[in-house]
Amino acid sequence: MIFDVIVIGAGHAGAEAAFAAARLGCSVGLCTLSRDTVALMPCNPAIGGTAKGHLVREIDALGGLMGRAIDATGIQFKMLNRSRGPAVWSPRAQADKRRYGAWMCEALGAEPAITWLIGKAGSVLHEHGRVVGLAMEDSDRHDCRALVVTTGTFLNGLVHVGSEQQPAGRRGEPPARALAHSIQSLGFEVGRLKTGTPPRLSARSIDFDRAVTSGAFREEHGDETPAAFSFMATTQPANTIRCWQLHTNTAVHELVRAHIDDSPLYNGQIQGIGPRYCPSLEDKVMQFPDRERHQIHLEPEGLDVDEIYVNGLSMSLPCEVQQELVRALPGLGDAEMLRSGYAVEYDFVQPTELRSSLEAWRLGGLFLAGQINGTSGYEEAAAQGLLAGINAARAVRGEDALTLARDEAYIGILVDDLVTRGCLEPYRMFTSRAERRLLLRTDNADLRLTPHGRRVGLVDDARWDRFTTRRTRYKKNLRMIQNKQLSVGSGSVFAAERLRQPGVSLAALVASGELPFRSIPQDRALDISSVETTVKYAGYLKQEVACAARVRRDERRQIPDGFPFARVPGLSREVVDRLSQTRPETLGQASRVPGITPAAVAVLGAYLGKLFPCSAGASARADAR
Amino acid sequence: MFATDDTIVAIATPRGRSALGVVRLSGPQAAEIAATLLGHPGRLEARRATLGRIHRLGVSTATVDEVIATYFPAPHSYTGQALVEISAHGNPVILDTIVAEAVDAGSRLAKPGEFTLRAFLNGKRDLVQAEAVADLIEAATPLQARTAFDQLEGTLTARIAGIDQALFELIARLEASLDFPDEGYHFIEPTVVASEVRAVIEEIDVLLADGARGRVIRDGARVVLAGRPNVGKSSLFNRLHGSERAIVTDVAGTTRDLVTERVDLDGLAVELVDTAGWCESVDAIEREGVARGTSARSTADVTLVVIDLGEVLTVEDRELLTATSRQQRLIVGNKCDLPAAIAPEVDVRVSARTGAGLDALRAAIVRGLTGRESLRDAAAVSNERHLELMRRARASLVAACDAVESAGAPEEFVLADLQAGRASFDEIVGRRTSDDVLRHIFERFCIGK
Repeated sequence: MIFDVIVIGAGHAGAEAAFAAARLGCSVGLCTLSRDTVALMPCNPAIGGTAKGHLVREIDALGGLMGRAIDATGIQFKMLNRSRGPAVWSPRAQADKRRYGAWMCEALGAEPAITWLIGKAGSVLHEHGRVVGLAMEDSDRHDCRALVVTTGTFLNGLVHVGSEQQPAGRRGEPPARALAHSIQSLGFEVGRLKTGTPPRLSARSIDFDRAVTSGAFREEHGDETPAAFSFMATTQPANTIRCWQLHTNTAVHELVRAHIDDSPLYNGQIQGIGPRYCPSLEDKVMQFPDRERHQIHLEPEGLDVDEIYVNGLSMSLPCEVQQELVRALPGLGDAEMLRSGYAVEYDFVQPTELRSSLEAWRLGGLFLAGQINGTSGYEEAAAQGLLAGINAARAVRGEDALTLARDEAYIGILVDDLVTRGCLEPYRMFTSRAERRLLLRTDNADLRLTPHGRRVGLVDDARWDRFTTRRTRYKKNLRMIQNKQLSVGSGSVFAAERLRQPGVSLAALVASGELPFRSIPQDRALDISSVETTVKYAGYLKQEVACAARVRRDERRQIPDGFPFARVPGLSREVVDRLSQTRPETLGQASRVPGITPAAVAVLGAYLGKLFPCSAGASARADAR
Repeated sequence: MFATDDTIVAIATPRGRSALGVVRLSGPQAAEIAATLLGHPGRLEARRATLGRIHRLGVSTATVDEVIATYFPAPHSYTGQALVEISAHGNPVILDTIVAEAVDAGSRLAKPGEFTLRAFLNGKRDLVQAEAVADLIEAATPLQARTAFDQLEGTLTARIAGIDQALFELIARLEASLDFPDEGYHFIEPTVVASEVRAVIEEIDVLLADGARGRVIRDGARVVLAGRPNVGKSSLFNRLHGSERAIVTDVAGTTRDLVTERVDLDGLAVELVDTAGWCESVDAIEREGVARGTSARSTADVTLVVIDLGEVLTVEDRELLTATSRQQRLIVGNKCDLPAAIAPEVDVRVSARTGAGLDALRAAIVRGLTGRESLRDAAAVSNERHLELMRRARASLVAACDAVESAGAPEEFVLADLQAGRASFDEIVGRRTSDDVLRHIFERFCIGK
């Protein structure tokens, strides 16, 4: 048989890709080493966080899996940035790792269109510039029309613990060497990145209560009213665990300094570039010598497992140093280390090799998603996987790609940054990457994206029904607040005006019975939040929409496939090289390619205008595809 | 207009007869076209003055002129493209013929400002500097020229870069506090934010204040002389202008129409206007003259109300003083060399006949226009487009301050204001700009620049 789509890897990217393609009507082959490692969390046992939480909400709004998975298996929920404004409220939850993977595995197993291909992917088969199949290392061959590669850290993965080096995709799992070779031989620009994970401790060996009493630990609880990630949630998720916060001390820092030459990060053994925003313990100590202490969090990896994840203690020092170091931490004098932390180096493909659909320029039908594109994080991977799965399915059916704009979704920003700017270090989402952050909130992810999800066929009737009634409520509530007069003293004031005053909250107005606000219990918080923000910050939002509209003019000016940048007069060779390499698809993208000056964009725009007056650019592009 | 792939040509010197006239060519074919015109085998040597003769195309006997051509290869030229300057004799007929030959050889007539536009598009200058080129060419006083040259050299660019840096750092810190909420040490107190934004606003205010002066320097000012007949307006006019431009007689009402001259007043380009004496008259011509004087006053940046110190104030004097009391004006007491009949309140006492008090009058005018004693310093900002964008940036920053202080708005909204402020500065130097703005800016240029 010929699969419509084969997905290599069943991590966070692969799971979403396979699910989306299957839901869009494709026959899907899901290639993984084992069904036990589906949606594995090899690093921290958590989903969400600033900007990442936004990504999860967007994945859910489009019809993806991640939000529902964490709602079902989360064990402590927090809304980050609660004290800040609504645009940066970000949900985060501790996950029960084992249950999370099992939930995903079951969700994928429930899709009849998905066939599991258990084994090791070998090489990409192609003919006439198009993908035709996947050869397994054991020489089995599977034909397909599109291939989504989500190999995480497996391409030429190399694990470091002290001076020990072991070829591995993750600790204890074999790396993908043949596949790495196959991808390299296609001519892709490949680079090397590094990431790391901290040691795991045995919960049984730690006396948490005593450490709390002695002041060594501070207990961390979830929110009193935990909020769900998914727009489909019907019940409030539950907090079932505690976490703990502690700090490193000078003894720990001394140990790191004393053994720094044994760290592969510092003795030249590791070449790959690690993430600056998630520094290893070695980096924290060596690069910030003035800081007397750093935050550490102890996070249970599940309800009924012994493992404690030591957030903030990622390192690759030798095993015995790690054990010594852990025991130097306050409250952990008797702690037993179950597994040491390690660093892993892996190959990634420069994502400037990709179109905005995540399809490779050099090979039709080949889609890449997740860490292979230089990103870090489960959420970033899942977002790309979802988009790659959707677009692989659409390519198979001969439909145009789904791309999301920068002012429409963090997913749009993620993909646009990757394909226009490439990666120099592991890429993580931040809210500051969004130009129009105020428009991209967690409370309106569904309003922004669920219609897209419906259009491509990923949003089922149940979600669509719930969404449309919620959207109708939203609009009616807005109209009501704009027109409703509230009596104040002897006079009256419009509810909208009242709400714009500092310190006035919609929840309070609704609770007092002054407003006939429509809602249903499970969506009450969401309904209030999106209406309140829309009214309270109307001035700002209007400005943002106007800015977005101005920028969209350039975003709509398409650059056709195979556009000869070298023939544009007035562009320097450097600019031509960068543009030819990156292949921006719109004038807007061209303006974001590093090293491209506004003047170069003006020249390019003028030339495009001459070649494709008015909107002819768009049709030229459609023809070229 | 934004095409840069063709070769453009224009006369770069003013029309008229002069010792030399320069024709400029810029574009990929500049060197080839110049070589063709000169009948020169091969290319011209880079950055060397080459002597040659220009003939009508294909007619070796029909010499147009003997010229010197200098070739500046890309990218080391004014426009960043291949550029050739041909110096010929300064006769419009000759220069027009050379341009016509160049067009026949494959170049196109340049549009106003197109050479500088290419310099901008090729990254040779930012927008502020490109605009300064136009100002430098149009400068009428040394101070105007210096102000323009400073901007061309990048002084304003540097000050904007300073403000941009301050905003950027504040924005970066606020962003960090949003993106890393777990690590409390990134947090900034709202009061700190407000005080840092206010520091930037103060810096903008300095530029804006300077800009009021800069605008007067760049755009000049209109100074109108007013007074009843025969108080000595025209004599004063001639003194300030340094000529006998206006007719002066003892006959009251000699000046009947407006007399206008440009005067360099301590570096300020001033348009000095003499008007007919203010009086009730039955004479139709005189009445029209008075009406024109009144209308001239209404557009004046400063009105000099001249009174005769040798005579008692008349009804006309008083009417005029009342009529101008709400305007920017200086009361000038003339004929201070004669025995005074009255001691009215005047701002300056002068004698147009002896020249006494003239320096004080000039200083008073400059002070009235710019708020400063002298204008020895060039102004950092002089362009209304820059000032408008700075005012817009300021408004965004004030909104940010208000948001922090009174409304207690969350950081991401404060950041939206700060980003908007920064965007305005980006627009000043042209880091972010639309085609329309560019077109508008470059339309001001004279051809050949």
